[in-house]
Amino acid sequence: MRFNLGFFLREAAKNMRLNALMSITAVTTTAVCVLILGVGLLFSAHVESLIRQVGKDVAITAFFPENAPREQVDEARAKVEGYPEVAEVTYISEAEALNRFKETFSEQPNIYEGMDPGVLPASLEIRLAEPGASDTVAERLRSDGFEGLNYPQQAINRLDQVTGYVVWGLRAATVLFLVASVLLISNAIRISIFARRKEIEVMKLVGASDSFVRTPFVLEGLVQGLVGATLAALLVVWGNAIFVEWVQNQIPFIPISSAAVNTLFVLVLLIAVGVLIGVLGSFLSVRRFLRV
Amino acid sequence: MINFDNVSKVYGNDSIALDHVDLTIDPGEFVFLVGASGSGKSTMVRLILKELEPSSGTITVNGVRLSSIPHRAVPRHRRAIGCVFQDFKLLPNKTAAENVAYAMEVTGQKRRAIRVKVPQILDLVGLGEQADKYPGQLSGGEQQRVSIARAFVGQPPILIADEPTGNLDPDTSVGIMQLLHRINRIGTTVLVATHDREMVDVMRKRVVALKDGRVVRDMVRGGYANEV
Repeated sequence: MRFNLGFFLREAAKNMRLNALMSITAVTTTAVCVLILGVGLLFSAHVESLIRQVGKDVAITAFFPENAPREQVDEARAKVEGYPEVAEVTYISEAEALNRFKETFSEQPNIYEGMDPGVLPASLEIRLAEPGASDTVAERLRSDGFEGLNYPQQAINRLDQVTGYVVWGLRAATVLFLVASVLLISNAIRISIFARRKEIEVMKLVGASDSFVRTPFVLEGLVQGLVGATLAALLVVWGNAIFVEWVQNQIPFIPISSAAVNTLFVLVLLIAVGVLIGVLGSFLSVRRFLRV
Repeated sequence: MINFDNVSKVYGNDSIALDHVDLTIDPGEFVFLVGASGSGKSTMVRLILKELEPSSGTITVNGVRLSSIPHRAVPRHRRAIGCVFQDFKLLPNKTAAENVAYAMEVTGQKRRAIRVKVPQILDLVGLGEQADKYPGQLSGGEQQRVSIARAFVGQPPILIADEPTGNLDPDTSVGIMQLLHRINRIGTTVLVATHDREMVDVMRKRVVALKDGRVVRDMVRGGYANEV
């Protein structure tokens, strides 16, 4: 049989007009679900990005012995830069160390008055590519002869652990929510189709094939999913932009960034989820009433 | 055209709806199927439409054994049988013309053909003026005419009516029966399940009487209550 798209589209449009309230319910349910899903998605993206930012600030300081010769410093520095877990190495000389100290206590000059430049040791400030690697790096440093090490081991481990929990928690919540929205939306669609089961029965008795009956319903679900999800997705992306700007202005020390979220990806994903749920929900719901 | 060969239908475990029924209806016949409620009339209709499967025996319609028709081919089988029901079974959201057109759209006919055919058939059943009214705006008799128009628009070789006058007053019923008679004269095989006594007596057509799932009488020019 010829596929009469025009007829099916007209049927779907008419059904939605006649069952406006049901359509609005389905669209609203989809919109709310996609909205919450989108918020969850953005929240986890921002949290992951923040954790990555904080991790970047984790540093190990390795002190040189007093009056270490120039060659030893250069050699050690080259070695440390060669570690695979290391992102960046900065050399702090004795003079620089003293300068920093002075800066820190600029309010109380009596603390550093009369200090010799050699009092504070020279050091390497090592930034890690990944915060979890601090133990490995510390181990390497020790075996390479560094004795004085200063790194926030516990904080790093904690951070790593918390990061893991938060990320997995967010992912689990997202999956749960996805399941919940599929159920919720297909239920809304099922109710609207249940109200029309007599019609479906008549269509079948007149000799309509399953797909002939189903197609307008599925198109309807597609349109409802598309409309609801698009509204919600736009709202999510717009809200995200406003939120990022607000945080950047109001709480500047939080390293939030709009780069944490791929806007286009989120838009496409959310709309795709809405459309998929609409199509699947109506397809499965009609099927139950086709057995005449 | 329609052949029942030793057909039984048992609902559940012990509710016998049809009990070893043999019946042959030839092409072009007009047959009344009479009997009290629960005598098995509706079961026969639903078996012919393949809404139900027989518990035993074979049913042949249009030369095809129904048991050999796969599920996906059932719609095509139903399109060869026009169907009229007691409760009309019209789509409430469609006008009279759209209801008739739907039966043509189902078979994938062109819009142009539909636009030509639908007014013709509505004229034939005497509803040319009511084409754009919805079922809710039509009387019972008018709704049944729409339903007959829908059943007949595809020019099926068989037309089955299950209690077509069950919800209608006697005057309106006469009009419906005349319409069915006219459709029969064009060459369509018509099977009418009814317990409308007067109608059957007036028409003097073949009457098959069912009682408790058995054929108890089959007369060529019978009345409803002829003594055997």
